[in-house]
Amino acid sequence: MNAYAGTWPLTRAALRRDRVFVTVWVLLLVVVVYASASATVSIYPTAADRVQAAEAINSSPAIVALYGPILDVRSEGELAMTKLTVLYAAFVALLFLVLVRRHTRTEEESGRAELLGATAVGRDAQLAAAVLESGSVAAALGILAAVACVVGGLPVVGSIGFAASWVGVSWVAIGLTAVACQLSASARTCAALAGAGIAVLFGLRVVGDTGPEWVSWLSPFGWSTRLRAWSEPRWWVLLLYAVLGAGLVVSARMLQHGRDLGSGVLAARPGPAHGSPRLADAFALTWRVHRTMVSSWTVGVAALGLVMGAIAPGVGDLLDTDAGRQVIESLGGVGALQDALVAAVLSIAAVVVTCFAIAVVGHGAGDERDGRTEQVLATAVTRSRTFVATAVISLGGASWLLLVTGAGAALGLGMQAGGGAGDLGRFAGAALAQSPAVWVVAAAALLLHAFGSRLAVVAWALLASCFAIGQVGELLKLPDAVTGLSPYTHLPAMPVESFAATPTIWLTAIAAALTVTAWWRYRERDIG
Amino acid sequence: MTEPVIAVHGLVKDFGGTRALDSLDLSVARGQVHGFLGPNGAGKSTTIRALLGLLRVDAGTATVFGLDPWADGVAIHRRLAYVPGDVALWPNLSGGETIDMLLRMRGVEPASTARGALLERFDLDPTKRGRAYSKGNRQKVALVAALAAEVDLLVLDEPTSGLDPLMEQVFADCLAERVEAGTTVLLSSHILSEVERLADRVTIIRSGRAVESGTLAELRHLRRSRVVAEVAGTPPDLSLLAGVTDVRVEGQTLTCSVAPEAMSDVLAALTAAGVRSLTSAPPTLEELFLEAYRPEATVTR
Repeated sequence: MNAYAGTWPLTRAALRRDRVFVTVWVLLLVVVVYASASATVSIYPTAADRVQAAEAINSSPAIVALYGPILDVRSEGELAMTKLTVLYAAFVALLFLVLVRRHTRTEEESGRAELLGATAVGRDAQLAAAVLESGSVAAALGILAAVACVVGGLPVVGSIGFAASWVGVSWVAIGLTAVACQLSASARTCAALAGAGIAVLFGLRVVGDTGPEWVSWLSPFGWSTRLRAWSEPRWWVLLLYAVLGAGLVVSARMLQHGRDLGSGVLAARPGPAHGSPRLADAFALTWRVHRTMVSSWTVGVAALGLVMGAIAPGVGDLLDTDAGRQVIESLGGVGALQDALVAAVLSIAAVVVTCFAIAVVGHGAGDERDGRTEQVLATAVTRSRTFVATAVISLGGASWLLLVTGAGAALGLGMQAGGGAGDLGRFAGAALAQSPAVWVVAAAALLLHAFGSRLAVVAWALLASCFAIGQVGELLKLPDAVTGLSPYTHLPAMPVESFAATPTIWLTAIAAALTVTAWWRYRERDIG
Repeated sequence: MTEPVIAVHGLVKDFGGTRALDSLDLSVARGQVHGFLGPNGAGKSTTIRALLGLLRVDAGTATVFGLDPWADGVAIHRRLAYVPGDVALWPNLSGGETIDMLLRMRGVEPASTARGALLERFDLDPTKRGRAYSKGNRQKVALVAALAAEVDLLVLDEPTSGLDPLMEQVFADCLAERVEAGTTVLLSSHILSEVERLADRVTIIRSGRAVESGTLAELRHLRRSRVVAEVAGTPPDLSLLAGVTDVRVEGQTLTCSVAPEAMSDVLAALTAAGVRSLTSAPPTLEELFLEAYRPEATVTR
């Protein structure tokens, strides 16, 4: 039997399984591309406007750290796509992390891969199908993104170059995830490894773009800028993605040949023979299940905060252009600019941390579907406690992570500029103040779960919509009634803006109402 | 007479448009091992889940220890242990951690239980992670957690699925010890020999309805016997008698199926014809269950 036998039907099955999820994600990305393209064309009609805006971006290390630099300040396309070339490429990478893992390690962990492997399916077919499926999705995303750019009013060649950089990043993400999924028997650990890999590549680019430029050449995210899609494209850069992606996929295949189905390259360590006396109720169990995720997220957001905080003090030194000085003045001085960076990071952190909160709820839903919750509820543990344990880890964990982000930013700033405890309190407070928006989305996830464990995944669509509203709302000049649907738009951008009690109270009240309704509903419904 | 440990009357549960339980009755007395038999999808697990308070029923009543599982679940759960039909473990928790956690959640301190002995008898390695266990070993984890401590009631949903015959025997021994100590058992299964070996009473359920209930002897009694007789004279025409079916005559030998109430008439007729040899075999359990399992339309009464 051919090792690739069955690849084609598996690929089709995978595409069919992903049709809703992929369509939503791809469309969101394409809409943001179109919105950015068309908005930039109308906001900056003349070359002078564009140069001014581009120089302002380049002179702010904070923005460069998040979005990457603009190499050709006269280019309309590069200005329009600056955010999308780098930061959004990370969301593109995330899509392929989810896709590849879903069709490789998750299938193995659930035992479905074994079921398939026993049929007329070759041993390389499942990995090949995952790569082929996500590769086709990447191609489709690239075509649509290029079309969206052109329709938005940008030059054709540049649009193709930009879209090709997304496809390139997709390729690397596919290869990276394929390798990560060979390493551990746990789908969760594999996702963490692949996520860490993407984060490291993004981090290298941050370092390179704000420091020694050669470091950016180590990261596919750095290549995306240096492809110079919008002026004299260096097409050979596309080869870098292709070689790295292909190399990773080949490595994944080799690693797979060296291991048994269902096991990982890294052997699982045996666990304790006895349970800890504290592992005796729903809270302890939920904590035990999530503690690794909480720690790795804590490390991740702490690093994010530290890096951003450490970059912030450089703001003043680099602003030697007229445009830069104008930006500073309009924002209220160098100190205010540092705060603006922290505020920007915190608003992104709020959305990122919501992913954690939803993942915790989704895990609770998975426990119910698989029958683990049933075993717990057949003991002296009440439904209330099971539910509250999930809610506390989800909502409380999200606030904790925000706090860590803020504290990390203050520490990073302190290490560079010698700031005092004042920054720590200010930034930590500003971070915590984002909590109510996160709680609203997390509480909505709890409510969905309380109406049926199968509904919990809808929360991801909810988060994606809120995020999309925040991103394109301003560009497309959507009415307040629409942008107001996203809880994130209601909170002030602390520490730049001052604390606002009204939205905080309202959002907290809404989150509380959703959570209590969810709690009540969960106690009344059938389990399983 | 003491109140039954489990009392179910006219239980109805609908899932969307399908009726999973259709006026189900079930009664399990204290100290009894009650076999709960039925084909796949008959409603065994749904009944158990209703008894655990995991499902809200649409009509009828169910009590465990005289309490309502929906309202007083925790009070009931303190006195029982449950083994689900398809055991899912926490992927990152070791078997030992899972067992201890489930025991502690029931308010039992693992050190005071037969946990260690059971691990040895079931030949289970408690240091493996949940995801690394095979199906049979996952089942063992749940069985050890359920059998380690004394409880008033064991609710076992197809407890031996995935166990090898050796382990089935270990399970049977452990269960017998628990029963000796006074534990009541609800044993759901579709494996006939298992129930025959372990259970005192049996309820057979089909399409959410109890179709038979009683001791195995009683159930047998309800069923037709296979009679083979050799007569000296002309074989009598037994097909005219009520309760007699499948009559076949070959020379002097006559075979037929006889309902219990028709047996004396058949014997009289055979005696009159000068019976030389006679065998009457009760239905095998296999036949009994196959008939009970058969879908409604094809059941001949």
